[in-house]
Amino acid sequence: MPDPRDPADEYPAGTVRALLDTDLVTRPTRDALRARLDERDSRRPRFFDIRALTTLRAACARLVPQPGRKDPIDVAGCIDERLAAATGNGWRYDSMPPDAEAYETGLAGLDETARERYGGAFHELGALRQDEVLLAVQRGKAEGEAWERIPAARFFEELLAECVEFYYGHPLAQEEIGYVGMADAPGWRAIGLGRLEPREPRLADPAGG
Amino acid sequence: MRRYSQNEPVDAIVIGTGAGGAPVMARLAAAGLSVVALEAGRHWAPGRDFATDELAQAKLFWTDERLSAGADPLAFGNNNSGLGVGGSTLHYTAYVPRAQPDDLRLYTEFGLGADWPIEHRELEPYYDEVERLLGVSGPTPYPWGPPRAPYPLPPLPLNGAAQLMRRGCDALGIRTSPAANAALSAPYFQEGIGWRPACTNRGFCQAGCSIGAKGSADVTFVPLALSAGAELRTESFVTRLEIDRRNRVVGVVYLDDGREHRQACRAVFLCAGAIETPRLLLLNGLANGSGQVGRNFMAHTGVQLWGQFEEDVRPYKGIPGGLISEDTHRPLGADFAGGYLLQSIGVMPVTYVSQLARGRGLWGEALHEHMHGYNHTAGINILGDCLPYPHNYLELSDELDARGLAKPRVHFTNGINERRLTAHAESLMRAIWARAGAGDLWVFPRNAHVIGTCRMGMDPATAVVDSEGRAFDLPNLYISDNSTFPSALSANPALTIMALALRTADGFLKRRQRMEA
Repeated sequence: MPDPRDPADEYPAGTVRALLDTDLVTRPTRDALRARLDERDSRRPRFFDIRALTTLRAACARLVPQPGRKDPIDVAGCIDERLAAATGNGWRYDSMPPDAEAYETGLAGLDETARERYGGAFHELGALRQDEVLLAVQRGKAEGEAWERIPAARFFEELLAECVEFYYGHPLAQEEIGYVGMADAPGWRAIGLGRLEPREPRLADPAGG
Repeated sequence: MRRYSQNEPVDAIVIGTGAGGAPVMARLAAAGLSVVALEAGRHWAPGRDFATDELAQAKLFWTDERLSAGADPLAFGNNNSGLGVGGSTLHYTAYVPRAQPDDLRLYTEFGLGADWPIEHRELEPYYDEVERLLGVSGPTPYPWGPPRAPYPLPPLPLNGAAQLMRRGCDALGIRTSPAANAALSAPYFQEGIGWRPACTNRGFCQAGCSIGAKGSADVTFVPLALSAGAELRTESFVTRLEIDRRNRVVGVVYLDDGREHRQACRAVFLCAGAIETPRLLLLNGLANGSGQVGRNFMAHTGVQLWGQFEEDVRPYKGIPGGLISEDTHRPLGADFAGGYLLQSIGVMPVTYVSQLARGRGLWGEALHEHMHGYNHTAGINILGDCLPYPHNYLELSDELDARGLAKPRVHFTNGINERRLTAHAESLMRAIWARAGAGDLWVFPRNAHVIGTCRMGMDPATAVVDSEGRAFDLPNLYISDNSTFPSALSANPALTIMALALRTADGFLKRRQRMEA
């Protein structure tokens, strides 16, 4: 039996993309998701300079790894867009500076900690060392002057929350977890425990068991 | 829509069109008064404008930045305030339990917090009326609280999370019931509003109902108000109240598209919620002879417990808060004042993963692995009391927003009562979820709903408004929203805000009649 806790058991690819072309999805929903699918990371950065964006891309790739995805979801680009538009989620920790300053300081901090520990910029490190740096920041135990200006653990929390929101807001990530809540134009009738409608994907057991 | 001249005083200006403002707007317009409502956000057309997509729907949240201080800094945005006609009812879960009579007598019962200056029985006819107007779907008889009128519609069907909570509670002998939800279990007609369709179990209440089945203010009280002759001005952000030498509000100044406008008026109803209402008063230095504006800030204890199950739950389907238990309203042997209710919860993926990131700090492969089980995830949470403390308050910071107005800073730290209540709830919820068969349990500490900041009371020295919502210091200013609640109540606030709003409007109308006679 397929097991949701076994990553070898996967939801089929292409489910959300296939649903988008059907009348199971409302027009405003289709427009929102299509626009997201059509974004490519060739977008020019509007907020960050190249150096900060390189660090951010490297961090995002560890926080939400996308091995085997030919065209990765451009989480860093979404953050760049959001900061360029100067929009936010309605609140921030009083212990943190405004978002723009927090990101600039925090990304410089990742490089600072990376240099102190391993003598290279964050994006130059291997995955294991990058993870060590990120973990130190998450635990509030990172070296560097940046972390005297902003609390490291709070910066990490904000960065991680924004990364995962953009990632799982993307139709390709939603395919990965078998989410098809957007296909709700006719509503749902089978809502009880263990009950699925035909358009809801099932886990496939690669062993065929 | 009827339009009023800006120079001719209207009988009333209503600031904000959410749970506090929309009922006032409807009631005063129905009584034949000239009413202008000012709403900071847009008037959405849900069928055209609402996507079933969490990121796209962030437009429903009030995202002007608030600074969160204290040991338990609060999340705002999607957690609390709404933007647009309908206010936070655009994204409330539509979970509408009534407060119980003893919720209004916390001080009498425990010697802590504050009593309300009104009796529960004064609210009951208004609860009845609001439930009828919204078309609340709920169980009859309702297992807890005093005898009450039947709900207008039978309950909505239970989704996976609700069935799991019932399973766990049954095993422990805890009574449960399908919850009262302001979403229609059948098509519903109301005069002045028309037909609204039944809920289709989209599960998306917290990011906007696209079909009008959820009883948000924009599809209930607002159309009622407009059909009775009220005027609605959207994208109008109020910055100033003008006071004359007789200490009366005579005009309201607001920004629309960067331009300043002024509307003359005879009375003002401030209904902007427990952050923007005190913020506007503090910015204007008004109605604060008591020094209590911004004080007594409370936020419900709302700890969540999540788990993953063998069965497919598909937490995106069905009304999110399907099941309730109020057996914990006054738990036996509790070491805290007040109590809480238990609620099953479904969840959309972005909301869930955001909480997972903040609450559990999962990233990398561990994050992917956990999210792989999203379809098997179900939650249970509480809605519990919170006492007022001197250390919890709202103030103006010295940081300015894009309009040049001081951003609010909110200090919040749970006290001993909230920590004990939460510990009690956490251990009970763990037992329920264990009996229901959950694995991979994790707790998301959380406070939700902002309450207090313009307390209602009998004494002008300790309260901002009287028992009818009228400001002690400004006789033609009324406040109608969650800021006037003297205590948090162990119930979700929206229904009580609406009931209290109708009562405030009726009090105003009666006083007006007396003065005319």
